[in-house]
Amino acid sequence: MSEAAAHHGPPQGFIRKYVFSLDHKIIGLQYYGLALVAVFVGMFLSWLMRFHLVWPNAAIPGLQLLSKVGAPGGLITPEYYLSLLTMHGTLMVFFVLTNAPFAAFGNYFLPIQIGAEDMAFPRFNMMSFWTTFVAFVVLLAAFVVPDGPPISGWTAYAPLSAIGKDAGPGLDMGQNLWGISIAIFCIASLLGSLNFIATTLDLRAKGMTLMRMPLSTWAWFVTSCIALLAFAVLLPACLLLVLDRVAGTSFFVPAGLVVSDHLQPHSGGSPLLWQHLFWFFGHPEVYIAILPAMGIVSHILINSMRKPLLSHKVVIGSMMAIGFLSYMVWGHHMFLSGMNPFSALVFSFPTLMITIPATVLTLIWLGSLYGSRLQITAASLFALGFISMFVSGGVSGFFLAQPSIDIYLHATYFVVGHFHLVMGVAAIFGVFAGTYFWMPKMTGRMMNETLGKIHFWLSFVGAYCIFMPFHYLGLAGNVRRYSSFVDDFMAPLMPVHKFITIAALCTGAAQLIFLYNLIHSRFWGPPAPVNPWNATSLEWTVPSPPPWNNFGGVHPVVYHDPYQYSVEGAKEDFIMQNSPEQVKTTVRS
Amino acid sequence: MNTTTTPNASGKSNGMATTYVVYVTILAIAVYQVCFAMMAGPQPMLMLALAILQASIAVMYFMHLAAERQVLALALIPYTIFVLFMMNMIWSDSVRLLHMRPH
Amino acid sequence: MSQANLAVDPHAAVMEESPFAIPSSKLVMWLFIISDAVTFGAFLFAYGYIRNASTDWPTPFEHASIWNALLMTFILVTSSLTILFAVRAAQNDDRAGAFKWTLITAGGGTLFAILHLREWSSLIGEGVRMFQNPWGAPMFGATFFTITGLHMLHVIGGVIALTVVALTYRAGRYSAKHIEIWSLYWHFVDIVWMFVVPMVYLLNMKR
Repeated sequence: MSEAAAHHGPPQGFIRKYVFSLDHKIIGLQYYGLALVAVFVGMFLSWLMRFHLVWPNAAIPGLQLLSKVGAPGGLITPEYYLSLLTMHGTLMVFFVLTNAPFAAFGNYFLPIQIGAEDMAFPRFNMMSFWTTFVAFVVLLAAFVVPDGPPISGWTAYAPLSAIGKDAGPGLDMGQNLWGISIAIFCIASLLGSLNFIATTLDLRAKGMTLMRMPLSTWAWFVTSCIALLAFAVLLPACLLLVLDRVAGTSFFVPAGLVVSDHLQPHSGGSPLLWQHLFWFFGHPEVYIAILPAMGIVSHILINSMRKPLLSHKVVIGSMMAIGFLSYMVWGHHMFLSGMNPFSALVFSFPTLMITIPATVLTLIWLGSLYGSRLQITAASLFALGFISMFVSGGVSGFFLAQPSIDIYLHATYFVVGHFHLVMGVAAIFGVFAGTYFWMPKMTGRMMNETLGKIHFWLSFVGAYCIFMPFHYLGLAGNVRRYSSFVDDFMAPLMPVHKFITIAALCTGAAQLIFLYNLIHSRFWGPPAPVNPWNATSLEWTVPSPPPWNNFGGVHPVVYHDPYQYSVEGAKEDFIMQNSPEQVKTTVRS
Repeated sequence: MNTTTTPNASGKSNGMATTYVVYVTILAIAVYQVCFAMMAGPQPMLMLALAILQASIAVMYFMHLAAERQVLALALIPYTIFVLFMMNMIWSDSVRLLHMRPH
Repeated sequence: MSQANLAVDPHAAVMEESPFAIPSSKLVMWLFIISDAVTFGAFLFAYGYIRNASTDWPTPFEHASIWNALLMTFILVTSSLTILFAVRAAQNDDRAGAFKWTLITAGGGTLFAILHLREWSSLIGEGVRMFQNPWGAPMFGATFFTITGLHMLHVIGGVIALTVVALTYRAGRYSAKHIEIWSLYWHFVDIVWMFVVPMVYLLNMKR
């Protein structure tokens, strides 16, 4: 029991092997599975919302089974629309964008990429997953409590989230569950990031210096450093929110607040405090979602280009700079929340600064692509798609970062389009790229490339069809979070909404191709060789799928930088990191 | 079982003399804080500065951070202080609400 | 904390050296401590924010309460000293001594918690609640109870952890390393108190 991580024996029995497993690979797959469930639930919710927006009077058969009050006869009420919106956001941000690129792939590949047998603390790792699972169940429980899920959005803005059921349906038990779920999630995330940092620093194989770690490992490492302190602020925020709701305190509720004709029994708090605490976590969270995707994409692009990026060190430095700046910019979410206008100016400056490392990264990707002979695979297509989404979504960030322009664009579909592209779709594309690239290693079966490419083109075109018009809607003044626009001044924009909804339904359906590909290849795909992509990093030196102790009890020794592609004079065009082959190379970095 | 822990942390803690000095200093600062507050009224900045002083010597000599490799302190302390420092951005909003003025 | 470290001993020859040259479990404790420090920091910032935004913040603590807080400081700092004795004894392979001092430390923590709870109950007797108090801004009770309550949870958790560590150490399954790691936690609890006293007690002293 009290022996080193690497010493836990081969797991015995189904429970130990697949349920309460200590093996980082199984835990990674568990995270992946959880994210997969969450992403399909979240996507289904977005379908419901999009459908309701354009056909507000059409009943959705069977929806009354989900909520009698929220969808009487299958017709979504405006309040239930907000419930769906809240759950969509919470599921996607916490259980998909945080779990899939970071916890799932990180757990699976970080130890293998640095040559370790397991995480530094396998038991913590197991606890971390199961804590996340509890948080997930508690969140979903909000669907079955009588008043349904909360309607306060994934940001749970106080005071609506902090007072009881006066503020609307879902703000009674549903909001309690939300707060508890996210508090639990914070603890799970803390356990995870502790483990990631300790593993990266302490379990590197001989020769795996920090600068020899692959970029994906670097991204997971930087991300865990951000998550370590970012979630530490969300935890007290959620605790205080729950106290406001159950213990009668009023951290986030001002005095004299009248809601639904009731004077609220609170005084002395400030809703701005919630926004400050929430966004202090919330902005780093954006980078927790996107940094792992950046690492994964770099890792895959290098493999497809068959040459290293222009600079290894600058990429790492840019990721660190993004992590550093992510703590300085949270106020740009609050330009219109009554925050001190002077602070708005202060927050605007670092927000614009953060484009510098982001642009440096993009330029390095594009500059490396220039003149390379890119191998087009599903993985590399999604990696390119990531860059495209990141740039398209990032450019609109310039506008939102400036308080004067944000006054007009705040809480419109422009913002929705911005963050869906830059954070949502981009990170998901990173996950898809990782899936097509690594699934052969994780399951031992190759995925279908043709289906993958079809999936890419449908998703790529579909994502732009959905989210580009959002910018137009926002510029036209279309506010977010309204449940229908039929009878008001935004009615002329309805054709655009119809187009978006149809695109969303089609793009969502296209994801079934991915699901089919994933399941089919898992069982009937052609067996994957050890190194199907002729890649250089350590995960391609072990069998597919790797045995429980990764390297079969042997400790790998690392001799090379991670990306030795197109090496002149080598036996093949690449040199594995653990290959003792010595070739005189000009290392660029 | 391996009973020798990190060679540097335990090796450098020669004698308990430093520890006693730190112990007395921390308690002295605590007494000074209380006496000062009782006589001259609590001054938040001074109280905070003294608390930071107490905490720093406790971190350095009770928790032996000073005896570890310097890189550990460099990895932990500036990052924590940076994050806590950034939180100071909230103050202007807290005072402003009282007087309803921009800043 | 039961997983032994991989950074030192058995794998040292086949692994890259850890940049900090400390066991993984000690690194994890340090990381947990900075994370927890930020959590406490957020609580204290929230308290300061609420206090700044209130007009009639009460300052009810009599000198007796302050002396009580000082006594609690003395107990907690002294228990920090005794855990150092425990660490030292463990490093010198004095198992009985290490066991004794660890338990004494846990005893100090218990005494601290008892004194604290006594203070809580007298405040509650005076009518202080999470949402009201007899003197002024209702958020006084909320901030006081949340901050000191979270700290007390840490103390109680620490007492339990130290007791378990002491017993496991005596049974021979833990080494000096474990006592040293948990001593870090205990010092951290002490350090948080160093901020709680001036911010929560001294600033709320009767003037």
